[in-house]
Amino acid sequence: MGRKLLLEHINVPGINTLDVYRQNGGYRAVEKALKNLTPDEVVEEVKKSGLRGRGGAGFPTGMKWSFLAKPEGVARYMVCNADESEPGTFKDRYLMTHIPHALIEGMIISSFALGASTSYIYVRGEMMPQIRILERAIAEAKNAGFLGKNILGTGYDLELYVQPGGGAYICGEETALLESLEGKRGNPRIKPPFPAIAGLYGCPTVVNNVESIAAVVPIINDGGEEYAKIGIGRSTGTKLISASGNLVRPGVYEIELGLPVEEFIYSDEWCGGIANGKRLKATVAGGSSVPVLPANLTLKLANGEPRLMSYESLSEGGFATGTMLGSGGFIAFDEDQCIVRNTWNFSRFYHHESCGQCSPCREGTGWMEKVLHRLEYGHGKMSDIDLLVNVAKNIEGNTICPLGDAAAWPVASAIRHFRDEFEWHVNEPAKALKTNYGLANYAEPIAKAEVTTGN
Amino acid sequence: MLKVEEPQPVHFSPALIEKFGEIVKRYPEGKHKSALLPILHETQAELGWLSSEAMDKVAAYLDIQDIEVYEVASFYSMYFLKPQAKFVMEVCRTGPCCLVGAEKIMDHLENKLGVKEGEVTADGLFSWRGVECLAACGYAPVLQIGPDYTFYENLTEQKVDDLINDLRNK
Amino acid sequence: MSDKVKVTIDGITVEVAPGTSILNAARQIGGDIVPPAMCYYSKLEGSGGKCRTCIVKVSKGSEKDPRPMPKLVASCRTTVMDGMEVQNITSPEVIEARSGVVEMLLINHPLDCPVCDQAGECDLQNLGYEHGLQKTRYEFERRTFDRIDIGDKIQLHMNRCILCYRCVFTADQITNKRVHGILNRGDHSEISTYILAAVDNDFSGNVIDVCPVGALTDKTFRFRNRVWFTKPIDAHRDCPTCSGKVTLWYKGDDVLRVTARKDIYGEVEEFICNTCRFDKKKTSDWVIEHPTHISDASVIASNHYETLKPLPVIQNNPQLQQANKVELEKTAKF
Repeated sequence: MGRKLLLEHINVPGINTLDVYRQNGGYRAVEKALKNLTPDEVVEEVKKSGLRGRGGAGFPTGMKWSFLAKPEGVARYMVCNADESEPGTFKDRYLMTHIPHALIEGMIISSFALGASTSYIYVRGEMMPQIRILERAIAEAKNAGFLGKNILGTGYDLELYVQPGGGAYICGEETALLESLEGKRGNPRIKPPFPAIAGLYGCPTVVNNVESIAAVVPIINDGGEEYAKIGIGRSTGTKLISASGNLVRPGVYEIELGLPVEEFIYSDEWCGGIANGKRLKATVAGGSSVPVLPANLTLKLANGEPRLMSYESLSEGGFATGTMLGSGGFIAFDEDQCIVRNTWNFSRFYHHESCGQCSPCREGTGWMEKVLHRLEYGHGKMSDIDLLVNVAKNIEGNTICPLGDAAAWPVASAIRHFRDEFEWHVNEPAKALKTNYGLANYAEPIAKAEVTTGN
Repeated sequence: MLKVEEPQPVHFSPALIEKFGEIVKRYPEGKHKSALLPILHETQAELGWLSSEAMDKVAAYLDIQDIEVYEVASFYSMYFLKPQAKFVMEVCRTGPCCLVGAEKIMDHLENKLGVKEGEVTADGLFSWRGVECLAACGYAPVLQIGPDYTFYENLTEQKVDDLINDLRNK
Repeated sequence: MSDKVKVTIDGITVEVAPGTSILNAARQIGGDIVPPAMCYYSKLEGSGGKCRTCIVKVSKGSEKDPRPMPKLVASCRTTVMDGMEVQNITSPEVIEARSGVVEMLLINHPLDCPVCDQAGECDLQNLGYEHGLQKTRYEFERRTFDRIDIGDKIQLHMNRCILCYRCVFTADQITNKRVHGILNRGDHSEISTYILAAVDNDFSGNVIDVCPVGALTDKTFRFRNRVWFTKPIDAHRDCPTCSGKVTLWYKGDDVLRVTARKDIYGEVEEFICNTCRFDKKKTSDWVIEHPTHISDASVIASNHYETLKPLPVIQNNPQLQQANKVELEKTAKF
């Protein structure tokens, strides 16, 4: 059994209320931070913990905090990114639903560390029930003196508000989120300046994911060094993994980073294997944006060693044979799933969610969707496959924000690893409409280090 | 572009205006435009959709230009710029949900309700549409119904039938 | 000079004020190494960064931190650092990526240049000519919108729009009220007023001049002539609203249209008012200065200020001479 830091008390009845949360050690970290530590010491603990951003990019949280500009007389803002919309990811919803005070406690400590006196939790609009849960929890915390003026008599003031989004994946990008929070269209900003210098209302701002903020609580309780002992290498601590797709037990799991992927999929402690007795064909390990991998490369590195659930191990081999931990949205595909269809589905998603501000993404996502649709529905041409690779390449790296990359990678990786399945769709269009390509050799042991030319 | 034949006057209830006042307080002096998204949600919850007159009224309340509201309302997928059925059933149609049968659920809705995606049933009660990832992939297939966005998880055809019956009797 | 920073673009070094963008540093050098810009407009604050045609490679970040930048950057929104080295036309990677961007800009563009008033002075046309493919790889229906009039003098032809946002910035920054904006999202985005509304204020006509394509055109000039058959003349008048400095576009003795004066990057020098633009179309309204300088490279420069030299095929063929009679006479007359 791995250690649980965020979900330790998740099954305690009433843990969503302040009283039960406190009975289980809740708000100890707030007391410790506000009464015994300086803001800089809190930042230092987070730095020591090695915590990396849990929203997808994996940037060290403590370092992000230390970049915050602190000009005299200018307000600073702490903003929580709860715009969870990456396909395959639903951990933040789970956390906010069941243990909202973990997020609020983390917000108080983070805001204190950064010197913010007003903070916002930007929750995607569709999560209206979670918005109500958080609002209720904030009211409870305020009544108990953890929010508002002169918190716990320490002289620190903090107001915390929940802001609903309006339905736009792009607002998970931090500068788009800030635009949206300012009441505008969610168009990502051109960086620099980064939010740490000019964020919300032009003021220095830190934007962190729900899970990153919640993780600050155990870091303060146990100390950054203790936290850093969990996990493997630079992948410290625990991570919430959202497991979905064709698994026996999909759901949210808290793992210690470094767990072997094979164990995560097949062990009864975790996902319990592939549903309906089928075999694993492919996975998307970190949310829809990261490269898809065939079963063999999911479970093993190119050199045959087991692949682990960690930032480093999942990205081992680069994009030729690896993927990314991303937001921890782990999607499993069984042998009956069609990679072409899923790639089309994902590209429809990115087409729908592109903000339309910069041209390669605005035009390219729609183009890819149309070509993939044609391939899936039996009207594809062999040249379409290389066309897709090229269009993806023309989008990747040439856009204001990472949505362009996120749209390009699933397409490029699907063709990289499943090219024969795409070709089969062109060669056997009638068959491809009725049946699926099946498992093929995607689960067979890797004979030798697979070397491809990238995209 | 929308051609407004006859302006349709809209009325905001005192309770709604009061909510606006509460929302605006969350932001620093002069940054009240931040209230736009939550205010549009509240307005839509009361009126069912956002007419251009309703948006103009919101613009006047926030002292911003009308076009700023149109720009925002049309950007986000949750705001309805046309009248809707009483219950808009929004089914997640993105990858992970489709791996476990979201497409079948949508087909079933189409058959059961007898209307295509985006169309409204004759009694004005129901419509359905596919929406992008609702961040509930582990409980797929899922659908949500506004304005409180109640979630219905691990859907089966039977569950959908029961839900429709329940809503009909509401 | 210590308050200047040194930047090298395609091997040419220039010293510029700190805070200058790569694009503007390149414009200080001038010539072929200046990246093309479809959305950036130096007179409009906040513009740029969107079209991605001005992307360049930063092969050395600065003297202090010589690491190259990992991705190509938008030169219009990237600030130079001391010692920075930039590659534009000397980088095959940039040229290839730019061609990719141009292709993206064109896949949903109607390519209706033969009936577009902007043809001949269209930035997209020029860009396509320099970087585009001869054939499109896009085999789907292009998105279409209805043509609409925004006010009685301006027509919006959304099919041609590349969503540069310049007209939105213009309305925000030089007019007192903005009634048009960007509606919807992604490739459904459109410039619109949403409800039927006229863009109507003293400076609204400037959206025509800032539009890099034929999406916003002057209804008083619509289908009147091809720009390369008209002759631009700089002129001014004493205008109470604006500077009154304009370019008149003549066809014979008639002023067909009035625009602001534009610099070599196609940007207006000074914004002009609607009275000057739409209502003063007589030579007697103006003090004529001199013929407008037009770049040799522009199609507008052809057959201007000199006798049209008919092609040999026309010279040798009386029938063709007859067919071109009016044009030949008019050109000779000017």
